[in-house]
Amino acid sequence: MANVDIAAIRADWVGRVFQEFDIVVDRERMLEFAISGGETDPRFIDPDDPEFQASTGFPTHVNVARMLPDDFPQIGTGGIDGGKSIEWYKPMRAGDHLHAEVQIADLYEKTGRSGTMVFIVNRMTFTDADGEPVAMVDWRMIRQD
Amino acid sequence: MILDLHTHSIRSDDGRAKVANYCQWIRKKELPLDGVVLTEHRQFDDESDYRELEDQYGLLILKASEVETDYGHVLVFGVNEDMVHAFDFARIDNPLPMVLAAAKRCGGFAVPCHPGRRNVGLFSHYEERGPVDDVEVVEIYNGGSIPGEDERSRQEAQKYGYRGIGGSDSHIVSRIGLCATEFVDDIATMDDLVAAISAGRCEARTWRT
Amino acid sequence: MRIEDVELGDELPEEHPDVSLATVRRFVRSAEMDFPRFTDHDAARAEGLPGAVIPGIMSQAQLAAMVHRWAPGCSILTLDTVFRNSMVVDTPVVCRGAVTDVGDDGIIEIDITIISEATGATGVLGTARVRLAD
Repeated sequence: MANVDIAAIRADWVGRVFQEFDIVVDRERMLEFAISGGETDPRFIDPDDPEFQASTGFPTHVNVARMLPDDFPQIGTGGIDGGKSIEWYKPMRAGDHLHAEVQIADLYEKTGRSGTMVFIVNRMTFTDADGEPVAMVDWRMIRQD
Repeated sequence: MILDLHTHSIRSDDGRAKVANYCQWIRKKELPLDGVVLTEHRQFDDESDYRELEDQYGLLILKASEVETDYGHVLVFGVNEDMVHAFDFARIDNPLPMVLAAAKRCGGFAVPCHPGRRNVGLFSHYEERGPVDDVEVVEIYNGGSIPGEDERSRQEAQKYGYRGIGGSDSHIVSRIGLCATEFVDDIATMDDLVAAISAGRCEARTWRT
Repeated sequence: MRIEDVELGDELPEEHPDVSLATVRRFVRSAEMDFPRFTDHDAARAEGLPGAVIPGIMSQAQLAAMVHRWAPGCSILTLDTVFRNSMVVDTPVVCRGAVTDVGDDGIIEIDITIISEATGATGVLGTARVRLAD
């Protein structure tokens, strides 16, 4: 991508936590996400199930105030979603108080059908009130010329 | 002898397949493959040693690379110390004529892959910039192509007189072997492979339905 | 579904998930990403898209749901998906899965894909690591 030094940005930013916030897991949102996402397992769609918990993709929806640090260099435009991975460590339950940390986990350039792309991997890690890890989401954001 | 000449493992940024799982899958599904060539994106993997897997599964496992050029993506076979210093594998804008020449000079061979694909395929650049000298072989069957892309690859390869190879471009285990290349002679080493592709002693195959 | 019932190469039953505009609208509201590119064909075309597109995370959720139906009581430990091509709302898609590894520790790996039945293009592909129920 023209006029962007990917290696330098990578060296400066990868691994730096740039945002932290707290959330309370909302029961109704959990239910709606699971049902409209096609789940039929009572663990995800029946609040009376003793194992009621967030469905697999639920942490991917958490919106952050800032996708990138305030002073992050301008790289291309757009914000296409290149993919998400989720790693679970323990179930997320309605009413849980979670702490989230966000960092840039990786940054690289490649070409594809739609042109030149920079992938910015935004990593969000959730921990519970005891500081135990609950889940980690990697979001591969694509910026283009 | 049939080899899948275009595969990615977890060493590629978008690869999700472990090489051991490719091997298990090939044997379990009784695929007609005798081996695979790992072509990781924008790098040459000089660290991984797959000899144990080769012995365990009776498969040939070779390593090459998929690099990016101003005319789209290109498979480079026969990567060696000279070649990794001849151009920057990590760049996304290597000049294609330079990659073709460097590969040959270093004893290897470069093959534009999925040439019928928009933006990252050779022929999409021919529309505006005309053909490149020294292209001899292109990948005419690619397991990741969407309908229309391989058809265009074959038509234009015929038009320009290019020979063809095939590869699955698999990024997950279950897509290995969708397309491959059948060789006239036995291939035991990367040198054998380069010689066979250079001499045209191979033919692209597809099992896509 | 228990570990002794699973073999490398097993294929999950294909599914044809609901990708209607109504369901996509419901999903994006729950996911707090209620943008016209997902919910309005005309607005999406104005952005250069072929029509309103199915959010990648909705496809991902549908793939997870397929795994849960195939192996009731299982836990998905990781779900790693690459969003490769846009798929259009109201256009049929098919979800597929295949077991690619069966570990001694009771954990299996599954390849997962969603393919547009209109274009044949793979919209989403990836893998899931899954612990089967005891």
